[in-house]
Amino acid sequence: MGIENLAEKAQILIRSRLCSPNFIFKPLSDSSDSNYSKLKFIISSSIMEACNNSILLLGPRGSGKVAVLELVLSDLLEEYPDTITVIRLNGLLHSEDNSALKEIARQLCMEHHLLFSKMASFDDNSQFMIAMLRECGLAHKTVIFALDEFDLFAQGKQRLLYSLLDAMQTVTSQAVVVGVSCRLDADQLLEKRVRSRFSHRKLLFLPPSKEDVQRLLEHILSLPMDSSLACDYAAEFNEKLQSILADKRFKEIISNYLNSNSTTNHLLRFLFIAISNMELKSGFLSLENFKAALSSIQRQPKQECIKDCSILELYILVCMKRLEVREQNSYNFSSVMKEYKSVHDSFPTSDYYAQNVCLRAFEHLLQRELICFTDNRGHSQSIEFRQVKLVVSYAELQEGLKSYRSCPVSHSHNSICF
Amino acid sequence: MRLMVIRVQRRCVKPSDFVNFLRGDLTSVIEKLKSLKKVGPNKSAGKPNGNMLYLIFDNLELIREWDKSSTALSFMFNLYDVLKMHELGLIFISNTSPDTYYSNMGYTEHVPVYFPEYTEDDLRQILMRNQPNRKLYSSFLDVVLRPFCRTTRRVDELSTAFSPLFRKYCEPLSDLASVPNEEMKRRLFSHFRPHIAPSLNEIFWVPSKSSTEAETNKDTTRKGSTRKSEVGDHFAQIDFHMSTSAKYLLISAFLASRNPATLDASLFDSTGGSDSRKRKRKASEKSIEQKEVAEQELLMKGPGTFPLERLLAIFQCITSAADSFDEDEHENDDLRAGGDGGLMSDVLLQLSSLCNANFIIKGGSCPLEGSTRYRSTVSEDLALKVARSLKFPLPNYLYRR
Amino acid sequence: MITSFAIPTFPEATGSFPMVTDATSKQLFTGLVLTKNMEFVDDLLTFEELGSYLKSQGCHVANLSSLEFSVKNGIGGCLRSILRQFLMITLDAADVSILATWYREQGSCNNPVVIIIEDLERCCGSVLSDFIIMLSEWVLKIPVVLIMGIATTLDAPKSILQSNALHHLCPCKFILGTPLERMDAIVEAVLVKQCSGFGISHKVAVFMRNYFVSQDGTITSFIRALKIACAQHFFVEPLSFMIWFLLGDDNLMLQGEKYGLSPEMMLKHALSLPSCQSIGSDKIAKQHGETIVNGLAELKKLQCQWSIVILCLYEAGKCDKVTLLDLFCEALDPDSFKSRAPDNGGGLENDSGGSRDCYKHQQYHTTRNSGFICQAVQKLRDLPAVQICKLLKGWEKYTVNVPQIHEKVKKLLSEVKSEDGKGSGQDLSTISKRHASRKHLKIEDSKAVNEKAAKLLESMVRNYMQPLECAAFHEIVCFKNVNALQTALIGDPRRRIQVDLLEVQNIIQCSCCSSSSNALLPSMHDSSILYTLAQEHGDLINLHDWYQSFKSVALRLSNKGKRGPNYSPSPKKRKATTKPAKPSEASIQARFCRAVTELQITGLLRMPSKRRPDYVQRVAFGL
Repeated sequence: MGIENLAEKAQILIRSRLCSPNFIFKPLSDSSDSNYSKLKFIISSSIMEACNNSILLLGPRGSGKVAVLELVLSDLLEEYPDTITVIRLNGLLHSEDNSALKEIARQLCMEHHLLFSKMASFDDNSQFMIAMLRECGLAHKTVIFALDEFDLFAQGKQRLLYSLLDAMQTVTSQAVVVGVSCRLDADQLLEKRVRSRFSHRKLLFLPPSKEDVQRLLEHILSLPMDSSLACDYAAEFNEKLQSILADKRFKEIISNYLNSNSTTNHLLRFLFIAISNMELKSGFLSLENFKAALSSIQRQPKQECIKDCSILELYILVCMKRLEVREQNSYNFSSVMKEYKSVHDSFPTSDYYAQNVCLRAFEHLLQRELICFTDNRGHSQSIEFRQVKLVVSYAELQEGLKSYRSCPVSHSHNSICF
Repeated sequence: MRLMVIRVQRRCVKPSDFVNFLRGDLTSVIEKLKSLKKVGPNKSAGKPNGNMLYLIFDNLELIREWDKSSTALSFMFNLYDVLKMHELGLIFISNTSPDTYYSNMGYTEHVPVYFPEYTEDDLRQILMRNQPNRKLYSSFLDVVLRPFCRTTRRVDELSTAFSPLFRKYCEPLSDLASVPNEEMKRRLFSHFRPHIAPSLNEIFWVPSKSSTEAETNKDTTRKGSTRKSEVGDHFAQIDFHMSTSAKYLLISAFLASRNPATLDASLFDSTGGSDSRKRKRKASEKSIEQKEVAEQELLMKGPGTFPLERLLAIFQCITSAADSFDEDEHENDDLRAGGDGGLMSDVLLQLSSLCNANFIIKGGSCPLEGSTRYRSTVSEDLALKVARSLKFPLPNYLYRR
Repeated sequence: MITSFAIPTFPEATGSFPMVTDATSKQLFTGLVLTKNMEFVDDLLTFEELGSYLKSQGCHVANLSSLEFSVKNGIGGCLRSILRQFLMITLDAADVSILATWYREQGSCNNPVVIIIEDLERCCGSVLSDFIIMLSEWVLKIPVVLIMGIATTLDAPKSILQSNALHHLCPCKFILGTPLERMDAIVEAVLVKQCSGFGISHKVAVFMRNYFVSQDGTITSFIRALKIACAQHFFVEPLSFMIWFLLGDDNLMLQGEKYGLSPEMMLKHALSLPSCQSIGSDKIAKQHGETIVNGLAELKKLQCQWSIVILCLYEAGKCDKVTLLDLFCEALDPDSFKSRAPDNGGGLENDSGGSRDCYKHQQYHTTRNSGFICQAVQKLRDLPAVQICKLLKGWEKYTVNVPQIHEKVKKLLSEVKSEDGKGSGQDLSTISKRHASRKHLKIEDSKAVNEKAAKLLESMVRNYMQPLECAAFHEIVCFKNVNALQTALIGDPRRRIQVDLLEVQNIIQCSCCSSSSNALLPSMHDSSILYTLAQEHGDLINLHDWYQSFKSVALRLSNKGKRGPNYSPSPKKRKATTKPAKPSEASIQARFCRAVTELQITGLLRMPSKRRPDYVQRVAFGL
């Protein structure tokens, strides 16, 4: 079908847009007081003035810090070819000084077509780095260090940061250190001697405002008129889109979502799921797509786990809850079995099973993380005697029991009693 | 999708090396893929060209038990951002829900795909696949599916439990390909019914096929006996061989773990401990309550630990009591253990044998200090069986039976 | 044997994808071998031999012990061990796909991989569970059969493994013979059937039996005791080489000369043996002729008869679960034999009221009431006809060499067979009421046979079961020294250490200490000084007092005065160390501390704890 084909193409187009940070952040960066412009200005000025600089990009995870940085770097690499070397480090990988310096040396070697030796020691690498900085400085080439997860570099003795910043100050070098971190207090983590060498420039990446969100939505979801898609289809698509965007219910959905997940990345993920829900038969986006996306992202994991339990497992959960309600804070599997037996004595049902079957159900609950051990004694005691506790709250348990299909009556009876 | 096997084995300890190796290998794989597939006119370099590479991580929740699990997990979850390869896709399969992976480092949210547990109808459909006689199996499922689903909904546990049961169900049938009518279903059900309850309560079913078992069963089983006799441990005797001193040591360990240490003096006096009967006075409200609390504590803590000296002391008391008891009964002195060193020597060797058989486990510290503590892991059933084989009145010595 | 439809391709077979989803095809066939013995030492060879047998049938076998399933090594440890056994290489990073590749490269995939886990109870449950889960995921690529040795009951897997691993097993149980059954087999083959001529006395047998039943419980130590007994016997008894005679070697005299013994010396030694003394040497000369050879021949004949009777008793006792070991010990008792057949002989040959014979003796001797022999005979009276027939056939086989008994057994057997013929073809349960009286008759008839069989057995016991110790010259072939065996088996290391410490001069044989005086000299070893001093204290030893006494001993100068090099006239030869310098306080303290630590290491005392910082506690007593 023609329309299905077109819808599929539209889907692919929008999804590829969602996956490319360039596309997302370019329009946001057009204004002159956006982070993009500020960052670009700082780095390019330090390139032109041949001086050192350092800057921190801070903001919650997914606000686009790295994306903006990459945008800036790619632009600068185009504008100033052959004068910039970019070294990228990540705190998750390179927080240890040895590996960090090794990585720096490796990247420098790759850039400048030198042979990299894996056997070089820490001192060799650091001397090499300082020498390279000096050389680059003399040759008026700027080295840009992009340190992702900057707060992880600030753990321990901060040797790398210190040596880097110290080298920048003592040697004739042209280097820019850009730190990216999710911790808003990343600069407070620095030691005194490191902080003194670090300029206090910070760029905060705030969550997008309502207008920004609107603009972003339109920018991403509107189909271009000049692409391979048929014009009339694109026009109709955009029209339907506009009506959805203007709908009050849609605004509610979006604000509901953004209340808990406010960063750009979250929004993009939401849109991705929504666009994947698009019905190819109808060929256009609808409000239901967005509603479905919302419910699929905002889940109640423990409730789902409870719904997945078998009836025996629910019995065990209810017994544990009864024990806890009676202020018996430390209990183990044997006490739960005792409670199970007493429940069965007072409300005889057919659901009275032997100990090993109950133990299996207990192990299932442990695997699902609805209950957990309170001690970490490991293997010194068998599973029946280690203390356990409930991880779900009573309300969640109640809710789960209510919505359980084919739940036996006595369950709710038990829960209501306590 | 295409399945390619690439055999590379490299040892790397640091995540940075891992990432470098991985990036190199993935790039080479993607190059290979690209060369194999003809590049179409619509594709442009740099954008994903349709041949994706997926890294699949199964059983993700086991990473939480590693050392430095939080960094490992963050590393895994951010792998895509670190590698920055468009052709790469990451799939994480986990048995626990995403909220168990939250850490204080911030969490890169992934797209969750949730697989709920199968409903009864789903289970029925799954179990019916690949069955040669669908009608027969369906009538079988009518009988067993609902009761078994109340204990577990896992399809693997159900299918492994059902396969021997189905064989049992079909026993009266001579022709396995026949379609059962109502009357046959009733017959099959009545034949099968006594087996449902015991199999519901059993999680590990060991069939007996050996000929010696069949012979002894001929002597001991009556008609219509249930499968319990086949399992073999239903008899009131212990099935395996232990020397007498090992049996006494086992009982001593059980008592040491079960009773609080303060009771030892009263239980094990020179008259052999039958004094516990005298202690039963009229129980007042408070003492009943205290006893309940004490019993709960016992239940909760499980078997307690005891030092070696306590074990040896109890052992000595029991064996001396038993010796005097036996000497009155049996005149057959020739075949009894001679002298008082009879049972006491090599007790420590027996202790290590019991530890090897997992009846006693160690829970302690510096052996030079002498403060190694042990814990008994036998169940009350087994201890009673062992005591019965020795004709030892174990219930008299148990605290608060 | 279950084989699959098709063989997966090489990449499929060696990678973890595609995965199997159907749970029943992921099950591992497991053999649960119940060893019925709490100790594992008796079954070490079992699994080894099982492995070699399976290897000879073409399977790939790996033996794993429980040590490879410890928490420390984790699942990598057992994988490494398996890879080491199959691939002969040691890898740091062991992966199951390597095993899959290796298996694939073996060619035809008709031979399963068998993994034998020798003792289940000692394994760490979580590691073993993970191992089983992993194997079950790969079972279509590597067909694995698990064999697990279980010492206790079939409940053991349930308590050790987690439930998500348990349902991957498709078990089948194999029950080995109990140690008691094995012991009976050993006693029968080694001790009863006279395979070597070597025998043990009643006391030794009782000791070994008690050691097995009450203390140790392993067949290995029983066999070890036998070996020790054997070795000691051959070491002590000079004429023990004559055992060759009992095995059929007639060149006795020549052998004696080979060992440097003249015939006269041998005869003199033989006649001075206690067994000959008690019987009377002239009587020997009358009964057994001039040579030892006749004596030993007579011994051999007696032993043969004795073993035949025991085997017959065992056949009877099998129905009541009387073990051969018990029968053997009881049969070896010389006193009971003497009481059974008093010297006045005759009289009791009369089989009237035969069953009362046993009880009559009990009036005189109190210990026979619960004897195993009596129990076996008694059981004979209650056996049904079919089993009597089987029993008699067995007896017929055993008694071939003793014509008197053999005749009687054949007669009895023909009687039983004829009775069987009367009622043959009719099942007891289908006999109608019309034939009830005939049934009653038949039972009475069969009872008569039982009675006759019992009487026959009793007469056999009385007349032919003469234990070894009642025969002359039995010391040549019989080991009697219980104490030596006990010391060798059990030892008593603690006692040994204490004795050595207190009587150190017996070992060192130094010149300064005379064995008679108990004075503590400073030249003695520090730990023995301290331990001797410790004997004066009770349970707790005050460290300060102990130290003071030690110091006084150490500073005590030798009363023997100055000897040695001082006597040399020339002053040049006078050595500088004529008078030992007084040891300093620091060195005495150091020696004291070291000696106390040595005593702690040997397990004789316990160091001061926080509660009692000034006292050490004695742990070993009772010398």
